[in-house]
Amino acid sequence: MTLTARTPHSDVDLFSDETLHDPYPTYRRLRDQGGAVVLDTLGAWALPRYHSVRHALGDWETFSASGVALNDTVAPMLVGTVLATDPPAHGALRSVLSDRLGPRAVRPLEQDIATRADALVDGLLEKGSFDAVTDLATEFPFSVVFDLIGLPDEARPHMLRWADATFTVLGPMNTRAAQGLASLGEMFEWLATLGPEDLKEGSMGRAIFQAADDGRIRHESCIPLLSAYAAAGLDTTINTIANAVHLFATHPDQWDLVRADPGLVPSALNEVLRYESPVQVFGRRTTRAAETEDGITIEAGAQVLVLYGSGNRDERHYPEPDRFDVTRNPSDHLSFGYGTHACAGQALARIEAQSIIRALAKRARRIHIGRPTRHLNNTVRGLATLPVIGFEV
Amino acid sequence: MKLTIDRDRCEGYGLCAEAAPHLMHLDDQGELVLDQVEVPDSSAVNAEEAVRVCPVAALKAR
Ligand code: HEM
Repeated sequence: MTLTARTPHSDVDLFSDETLHDPYPTYRRLRDQGGAVVLDTLGAWALPRYHSVRHALGDWETFSASGVALNDTVAPMLVGTVLATDPPAHGALRSVLSDRLGPRAVRPLEQDIATRADALVDGLLEKGSFDAVTDLATEFPFSVVFDLIGLPDEARPHMLRWADATFTVLGPMNTRAAQGLASLGEMFEWLATLGPEDLKEGSMGRAIFQAADDGRIRHESCIPLLSAYAAAGLDTTINTIANAVHLFATHPDQWDLVRADPGLVPSALNEVLRYESPVQVFGRRTTRAAETEDGITIEAGAQVLVLYGSGNRDERHYPEPDRFDVTRNPSDHLSFGYGTHACAGQALARIEAQSIIRALAKRARRIHIGRPTRHLNNTVRGLATLPVIGFEV
Repeated sequence: MKLTIDRDRCEGYGLCAEAAPHLMHLDDQGELVLDQVEVPDSSAVNAEEAVRVCPVAALKAR
């Protein structure tokens, strides 16, 4: 490092309750400091700008996924998972998932998922008032994803708590992460008891064991891959659907646009995802020194925090980033990541969320809500409750 | 400008084809087909947009 090198520092705690409630002002300050900022409380680098996030995600050789967890207790537990494995080993794991999860595989499910969304929304409209997190945003991915993965029903009552724990333990080892460890242990203990015969015939989960039998992956990879499906596929989609209902209820002018032109639904979903990234942060570890676009040098061996949720609000990339605008179509948003580890379930997630938005748009002119409460998690952002108190049809 | 697809990475999301429908499309199997490999200057902006929206960094322009 030369004497002229610039190293921005910040003493902010990104994982305090206060910041988690509203991280956006903090993100803006970090972005204004530079493309990379040292977080003194963690001894790690934050990447807050669109460009620095996207660049890191696109360069796996420098930004290794072995650093995806931000603490040393959980990092060893992730060895062998698709999320924490770099190429070339990553490719074999990923292809087993994408065979069944990729757009070619899930497009044929679109009609069935749309029908289910219509039925669920019809039932809720009849009820008149309900909780959008529990009765809609959770109910729907559960009914779709759980069956696709083919998990046995005995896991249903635990799965939400396990999924939430899986994400929170990826943060630094604060109280939230420490408390999540017990649930994570429970989940892995249960997963380890599963054999192919426990997963429904023809399901995505069963296909993982088949891939091992065919010699495409090792048998030890089956359980870690199964965990990637189970946890990654629920929490994120749940938060997306709840955020969508919240944003459309609080931006009636934008909702009118979607209702007037259903062709806007894909763009509107991209904007929901950009505006409130369900995954706010994951880690990486540098294998060698890296320089940001604005000339800041990150040393080799550094823990890095990739701030998807901040990059999505970068005024250098999106004009008026704090405005929710369904016509913006930000299809290059960072909420599904980018490059090697880009969300393997994004085609399915899009189908699920778009189906719900379409089902609501066809039926509800206005969505009236009460006061939502936020659920705090170290890495995902979402609501605990969102009372819907009425519709205008 | 020349477009290339990394076939090992491409999973067929089709976002590129939405961004530049006159340069590429998904076939019946959902495989990406480049209709123009050599991109004329007049379409360079669309080609760059297609590259930018590829989720898995499979499409490249040189
Ligand atoms: C709107 C919903 C979703 C969001 C916002 C989301 C977000 C993400 C993000 C940000 C990553 C990248 C991680 C990284 O950069 O290291 C990722 C990876 C992944 N997601 Fe999703 N996800 C969603 C839905 C799903 C669904 C429905 C599934 C499966 C059923 C899924 C399965 C996966 C898997 C397996 C990976 C790891 C891919 C790899 O490491 O190659 N996701 N997701």
